[in-house]
Order: sequence, then C-alpha cells, then structure tokens
Amino acid sequence: MSEHPDVRTDEGRAGPLADRHEALGATMAPFAGWAMPIRYGSIAEEHRAVRTSVGVFDVSHLGTVRIEGREALEVVKASFTNDPTTLVDGRSQYTLCCTEQGGVLDDLIVYRRRADRWLAVPNAANTAAVVARLQAVAAERDASVHDESTGWAVLAVQGPQALALVDRVLADHGALVDVASATPHLGVREVAIAGREAVLARTGYTGERGVELMLPVDAAGRVWDELRGAGARPVGLGARDTLRLEMGYPLHGHELSVDISPYEVGLRWAVKLDRPAFVGQEALRDASAGEPARRLIGLRAEGRRPLREGMPVLVGDRVVGATTSGTLSPSLQVPIALALVQRTTPPDAALQVDVRGRPVPVERVRPPFLDRDPR
Amino acid sequence: MSAPLPDDLRFTEQHEWVRRDGDEVVVGITAHAQEQLGDVVYVDLPGPGTSVQAEQPFGEVESHKSVSDLFAPVSGEISARNDALDERPELVNEDPYGEGWLVRITIAEAADLDGLLDAAGYRAVVGD
Repeated sequence: MSEHPDVRTDEGRAGPLADRHEALGATMAPFAGWAMPIRYGSIAEEHRAVRTSVGVFDVSHLGTVRIEGREALEVVKASFTNDPTTLVDGRSQYTLCCTEQGGVLDDLIVYRRRADRWLAVPNAANTAAVVARLQAVAAERDASVHDESTGWAVLAVQGPQALALVDRVLADHGALVDVASATPHLGVREVAIAGREAVLARTGYTGERGVELMLPVDAAGRVWDELRGAGARPVGLGARDTLRLEMGYPLHGHELSVDISPYEVGLRWAVKLDRPAFVGQEALRDASAGEPARRLIGLRAEGRRPLREGMPVLVGDRVVGATTSGTLSPSLQVPIALALVQRTTPPDAALQVDVRGRPVPVERVRPPFLDRDPR
Repeated sequence: MSAPLPDDLRFTEQHEWVRRDGDEVVVGITAHAQEQLGDVVYVDLPGPGTSVQAEQPFGEVESHKSVSDLFAPVSGEISARNDALDERPELVNEDPYGEGWLVRITIAEAADLDGLLDAAGYRAVVGD
C-alpha cells in the first residue's frame, strides 16, 4: 500500500493547542505552514458529531488581522470586493480580496466591531497577501493594520447544540446570559474569557449553527478544555472539509484562485461594483458584463467510490471541465464533487467523471448537497 | 503501536499482510495501515482470474482524504475477492486481519514468499 502524495509530511509550526492534539492522538499534517489536526479518529464520526450535536475545531491557523483607526472603513472598502458600508457595528460579511486582474487572492470574512475597529479573518495560506493589501491601502490613510495571527487562537464550535454549549461555558466566565444564542447569524461581539478580551462571531464553515471564538493564545488551552468538558467533540480539518463540501462552500486553492473569476463560481453577490474604487474593480466590471467562460456546478454519483479533485468531467469523449473538490459525502453516503465546466455545457448534458481511467456517470445538482440552515 | 501482530503472518514494506493457506495466500492491509488511512470508504479489488505481479498495483483503497495503491505481495492469480467490502469497506478498519481481508491469490512462484517480512521485520519498518 502506498499513498498518493496529496499532503506533504514535513511538519509545520506548532499551534497553541499542539499539546492537546498530541494527547488526543491526532493525525497532524502541515497546512499553510502550520501543523494542524486532520482527524482525531474517524472523520465520519467527527462529521456526524457536527451534523447531529456539537464539535470544536482548532482553526488557529486562520489569520486574525486588525484594521483600526479613523479611516478603517475606507481601508476595508478599497481593499475588498463586497460593500462594507452596509454593515452596522457588530456585523460581518463575506468578501473577496481580488487582484487588479480580477482573480481571487483570498476569500475572507470582515467583522465590523466599531466604525474604527475592524477584524479580518483570511485563510492561513493567504494571510500575508491580505495583510500586504491592507497595508498598501492603509498607507495613504489614517488607519493601521496589525497581523495578530500568531497571537490569537481561533476555536470554531459548530453543530445544532453549539450555541447552548457556548452559552454554558461563557456563563462561567461571567458573560451575559445566552451570549451566543442572542447573537444573530453573522453577528460579532466582544466577550471576556479568563479575564481577557475575546471575540465571539456567529460564523462558521459547516452549514450548522455555531460560533467562532477568537481569543489570546494563552487562554486557548483552558477554553478548549472547557468546551470539551461541556461536551464538544474535537473535530479535525478532514471533517471541516467534508462538512463545507456538503454545503457547496468554495475553498481557496480549489474553487477559488487568482485564475478563477468570482463570476465563474457564483460569487457575483460578493462583488459590489457600483461604489468607490477598490482593487480589481475595473477588471471585475469587464468580467461582469460578459458571460463567464466556466461555471461551478455540483456533481453527485451513485455507489461509494469517492470523486476527487482534479478529475476530468466528460460529455461523451470530450473533456468539458474538471472537478475542484470531491469526497464521499458522510451524510449522504454518495460521492459528491464540485466542478468547473465550460459554460456552454448544456444543463441536461449526460456528464461523466473520469475516475482514474474509468468513466463514471454523474448527476448535475445545484449545491448545497444537504439542506441545512446555519442561521 | 497498539495490538500485537499476528505471528502466523508475513508482511510487505507496503503494509500488506499475507497468510499462507496451501497453494494460496490471503492478503490484507495491516492494522498500522488502516490507522494511517482513517475510515476506509471504498476498496477497488480485481475479480477472480485476474493475474497479478509481485510488487505491482492490483487495486486501491480509499479513505476520505486519500487514494492508496495496493501492491501484490506475490505473483499469481486472484482466486477470490472479499465481496463484503463492497457494502462494508469499514471492515478493513474494524477487523484488518480477519473479516477485512482483501483477496486470495493462487501463488505462481512459491519463492516470492521468501522475500516477505516476518513480524519482527515489519515492526522495524513501522518503527515500533
């Protein structure tokens, strides 16, 4: 038996919870320079815990970037594609960091804590690029950008029981009653944890209700232990990927890249063109006027053999695209995938995926693959 | 490492185990291998009558995260495949040396068996 090389095996930088993961016997893998837990045992069981009860993820590799000052809003406006002027204090939005050519450098969430106090949470691999963008834009304005990624841990608590569990744990730290349950979807607020200032956001990447807690690294171990003690099951990045894929959420490096336009992957809603200048605006305006070359679609097969990233999508003998992510859906127990295919592919065309030389019939479906509501 | 290795088995460096049964061998993957893989979600195995070559791929085992080739420990012909794995691939995780077996191979060259590792040799491979 020999594994195809889809993950490197050299170790990355240890995160703030490395000792906890080691004690749990986690399978660690390098991820954007960090050694992160891929799974603690069974990915299927971790996935199920999030769909049916509650799991806790260490996602401390995510970037945590503060944008502060009188013109913080101006910096966010000019750096990213969505319109942050629609946000009131304590709300967040999904947005894109695009190149001048209109490709996607990163997708991220920006949180408005106050008019002069914003937080951006980019992907680990793209944090440096997002920080560079923000700093370049801030250089001409009255605002400062602080990359605090190594000083902050991020714990995602997700699942139907997540909010009640977080409420119980935070009540022990003197937080308001029902602090998580009372925070609206996409809301963000400050909470005191272990006497330290932390940030609670009603966001996530699973399709379930839940929060992401951003807290100083020296408080992370204690809070992790308390969340586990209250009943949250540790869940690794393996299940995080199967959970997001069931929801059809794009993942940078797969469905998003500098070579993919937001219009190809159904993210028109995250690009607001009619507003003051932002990086990539002109190229995106041109792209929005025409039809995109490709389209992101969902695929579903029968049987159990997983579809995987990078497999050709066929109409007859003709290659019309390729899969960008794929797995065996733990919830549905069928193979699912996202794929970028030529826009001209007829919606009713009989599609097949070339699974290492064997054509497998697939059904075209509109994601999400699973009906969930994170609100 | 967890459970002791059954001492009636031989092993390959590619983490397969081999149990001799007359002029056939039963082949599976080791407990160590299934732990490394995680949940086995699909096993691709050839049918009876297929010729296999020692050290060449004869099938695949897939987890949520990876696809791994299975390498034939000996040359010969597939005499049986474990059809139960089509519906219950998790047997490879639950009982790797028993119900999670993969194929039976009719041995062409008995000398192939001489190159296989014993339990001590395999333990050295996995650093146990």
